[in-house]
Amino acid sequence: MTAARALAAELSKLLSLPATWLTIAGTLAANLLLAVAFAQAALRGTAATRDVVDVGLASIGYAQAGFVVLGVLAACSEYIGGQIRTTLAAMPHRARQLAAKHLATAIVALPAAALTAFCGVALTALVLGDTPATFGPILGVTGYLLLTTLIGVAAGALARRTLVAVAVLLGYFFVAGPLLRDNLDLAKYLPDTAGAAMWFPAGGALTPAQGALVLTAWTAALIAVALAGHHRRDA
Amino acid sequence: MVTIDGLVKRRGGREILSGIGFSARPGRVTGFLGPNGAGKSSTLRVLLGLDRATAGTALIDGVPYARLRDPLGTVGAVLDGSGAHRARTGRAHLRWVARSAGLPRARVDEVLELVGLTHAAAKRVGTYSLGMGRRLAMATALLGDPAVLILDEPVNGLDPEGIRWIRTLLRERAATGRTVLLSSHLMGELAETVDDVVVIDAGRIVADGTLGEVTGAHRTLEDAFFALTGGGSRLTGGGAR
Repeated sequence: MTAARALAAELSKLLSLPATWLTIAGTLAANLLLAVAFAQAALRGTAATRDVVDVGLASIGYAQAGFVVLGVLAACSEYIGGQIRTTLAAMPHRARQLAAKHLATAIVALPAAALTAFCGVALTALVLGDTPATFGPILGVTGYLLLTTLIGVAAGALARRTLVAVAVLLGYFFVAGPLLRDNLDLAKYLPDTAGAAMWFPAGGALTPAQGALVLTAWTAALIAVALAGHHRRDA
Repeated sequence: MVTIDGLVKRRGGREILSGIGFSARPGRVTGFLGPNGAGKSSTLRVLLGLDRATAGTALIDGVPYARLRDPLGTVGAVLDGSGAHRARTGRAHLRWVARSAGLPRARVDEVLELVGLTHAAAKRVGTYSLGMGRRLAMATALLGDPAVLILDEPVNGLDPEGIRWIRTLLRERAATGRTVLLSSHLMGELAETVDDVVVIDAGRIVADGTLGEVTGAHRTLEDAFFALTGGGSRLTGGGAR
């Protein structure tokens, strides 16, 4: 009962925040633009592949930034205008409150992730005049973006500041992650590389299922740290 | 009923509260007075479960805030600012708080009416004046019609009409048997509103009793306050925390 109310409150917060809608719409639009650009490149023959799904999902590496931001905003918006005090006064069971926030963000992020992945591939299919051979990678991307969003929520709850959390996560996903991937064998077990195996298994040593398992473990661990920190620290 | 006993709070090696204790009783307005930085907000933050006490207890109806079964129906709290995200409308803010306690939507419109914000309910909190933000915080506190009202510097940022409104509201709450605890560093505003007075200075309680007892031989509560807290040199500037 109380848990259901906490979820309803967190969903209500997320849906009434203009930044939620702007981030989702912006990410979707940017992904479509990138998908068209990648499809054009494939048509000109400058890309390595002409497979509809591979080309259509190439933009996800960039679009994931939008999902990271969505998760961070969900957590860090609590620290604007002293809202965290209202939140904790209404829901003093802190672990339950933050768990409800993760679940609410997942509920919002899931359709957004599926839509982003599907629309990118659909638009690419139109441009290339071809049909996708498999839909498996679209599911993989959806799961990957969902877990990335949850990592954003947990990191945001720990950092409490949007800029700090976004800088750290994007620094990892776009700079540190790719560097480690090329230079370290164990990097295949890191969240970004394991996650990429969920939809782009060609280069990775992990299967999509293994990748999903490893990324889920990383996400669960980070959420656990965020819940413990939220429970212990002064607001 | 609010009961604070032996409360100690250390932050960064500094002792902010040095074992304070007092209570606020039902049917009475208790004024929690002290200069800025004396420990008023720190005490209220521990009482509301926002910060952890280093030692001691701060209880509401005998239990710590975090263990209240129906927090919004038990305690309404107003700390500094609106407590709302600036990008949301006033109504959207009250709606999510109402959802957290399973309160009906109609209650949101009731409290908006009660604090005089109905006309601004569809506007974003970021466009509110300081006084409107305070009224929104009050509306949030009143959502669950709580038995205990806790306010940190409630008259800060209010115009004379707002101050008069809040005084009337607090007296009404106490008259119906509810507990009201309010902190302030403004003595003049308080003398007409409070029944009991607790004075804190540098993390220690220096006086505790009825308004008459604490004022004692002094001409006014303000004179008594300066005598108890050792002068008014620190009484410049504003704001909580």
